[in-house]
Amino acid sequence: MTWTLRFAALSVQISRRALLAGLCLMALLLAAALLAVQTGSYPLSSGQMAAVLQGRGTGIEQMILLDHRLPRIAAALGAGAAFGLAGAMFQTMLRNPLAAPDVIGFNAGASCGALAAVILTGGMMLAGAIAGAALAAALVLLLSWKDGLAPGRLILTGIGASLTLTAAADLLVSRIDPQTASDMVTWLTGSLHSRGWGDAARVWAGLALLAPVLWRLHFPLARLAMDDGIATGLGLPVSGLRLAVAGAGIVLTALAVTAAGPLPFVAFAAGPIARRLVPGGKPALLAAAAAGALMTLLADTAARMVPGVQLPAGVFTALTGAPVLLWLLLAHFRKGTL
Amino acid sequence: MPDTARLRAEDLSAGYAGTPVLDSLTAAIPDGGLTAIVGPYACGKSTLLRTLARLQPAGRGQAVLDGKAIHRQSSRSVARRLAILPQTPAAPEGLTVRDLVARGRTPYQSALWQWSRQDAAAVARALELTNMTGHARRPLEALSGGQRQRAWIAMALAQETGILLLDEPTTYLDLPHQIELLKLVQRLNRETGRTVAMVLHDINLAARFASHMIALKDGRVFCQGPPAEVITEAVLHSVFQLPCRIIPDPLHGTPHVIPA
Repeated sequence: MTWTLRFAALSVQISRRALLAGLCLMALLLAAALLAVQTGSYPLSSGQMAAVLQGRGTGIEQMILLDHRLPRIAAALGAGAAFGLAGAMFQTMLRNPLAAPDVIGFNAGASCGALAAVILTGGMMLAGAIAGAALAAALVLLLSWKDGLAPGRLILTGIGASLTLTAAADLLVSRIDPQTASDMVTWLTGSLHSRGWGDAARVWAGLALLAPVLWRLHFPLARLAMDDGIATGLGLPVSGLRLAVAGAGIVLTALAVTAAGPLPFVAFAAGPIARRLVPGGKPALLAAAAAGALMTLLADTAARMVPGVQLPAGVFTALTGAPVLLWLLLAHFRKGTL
Repeated sequence: MPDTARLRAEDLSAGYAGTPVLDSLTAAIPDGGLTAIVGPYACGKSTLLRTLARLQPAGRGQAVLDGKAIHRQSSRSVARRLAILPQTPAAPEGLTVRDLVARGRTPYQSALWQWSRQDAAAVARALELTNMTGHARRPLEALSGGQRQRAWIAMALAQETGILLLDEPTTYLDLPHQIELLKLVQRLNRETGRTVAMVLHDINLAARFASHMIALKDGRVFCQGPPAEVITEAVLHSVFQLPCRIIPDPLHGTPHVIPA
């Protein structure tokens, strides 16, 4: 069931299933955010929260809610959405669910770039992450290209690149002065520990700037998922579109990695979850963004619920995402498509 | 040879990196005709069709659509005049027939103009013409080979172009479905006046359905014309190295090849 909204000559289509999935994901996000606000080493009740929001809370409650928890949640949501979008875009464009930026080394490239920028300039993490992710993407795609993109070559090259770049990132951390190094080590495991409003604002500003581009790309991206021959036959500028989608995906990956570190498996799992919720062969970018945000927020909340230690959220996304990767790999082997 | 045809190859050389497949080929696709391109394996049939549809780059020479080199025209404007169905195309899982056919409207759409009334009408017409209206809500993977191929043809029809190119549309179909599909193509050619050109493996089917044939050998046109002129013992011997007798098809009178 699809509704068409018309205004003069303009028309936009909305499918009922996509709307329904979107509303469900929104409700889940809201519930997860409420849970995240209340849990932690200093639990806050609903009454205390209401008091703080009305300006009546104690100093410590104010500080915990406004300076720690809310910005951390905002950063988790933004980073998760960016991961989900990037994953769904690359998976759709490359017609391969394994071709997610975290599986094939783009996340690791972004973290290397960010660390190199910190070493060289003392800041500029986002610019460094964009450059790093772009270089990793160019490297992996060039190495695995042979008359088109062979899925087996892509996944093996990507995993190799991912391992190499992760090791390089560890090396780079050792070059950073000890004061910032400990923060960077936590960040490098995929953690939202001590994110402030600045981090949250950066990732959300990036998403807001990219939103019109993504909305524009969403339409041809669905057609790019068919064949190069079909897409060209339908009059789409295939090479230009690929470049635009890859560019947007790389910036999204860099935004997310800058905010949350190279959080594994969110970009990888968000797309398939979204496509299951919104069937019909569509890229389902909005649903993927919501699924990514939900995964990241839940992982970070789970990490904060373990008492006594400061666990990175990456531990939980890996625990849930890695089995999905294994299952998908086995399915590909069985079908002989790898 | 009519050099007024809308779609032509002029002195065209093309191929894959390093290995030229077409060698200074000149040919025209007659307007309003049903053209079959035939020839032995690796003679350049598909390359010719794909280069004529700007899916592959032209080396020397050019593919001409409406008097201008097709590779230098806007791809979107070409897609409103020429539709191509490549060999065994792939679609994402879960795509329904209607959604697939609707994608044929891409050259008329954008993010802001997603679904006009003309789009809806064109999709309904394409489904009707291919007899797929009853299957519109089914996902592609639930269809039989013949139905799936008709769905793809409906997508190309929804583009509402004057020219339709088909690359081996009968591959993987059994004989009854090959005949059904070619009858559909013939009906489209006659009833909607579309110019159709297709690559076909089966010479007898090509001779029966085509109004014009182009026989290729080693990347060049060996001969072209109506089936009665192209399907001769001499041509089959030279092009396919096939000793044979040609008899008139007892049902349709078209030339029929009996291999010796």
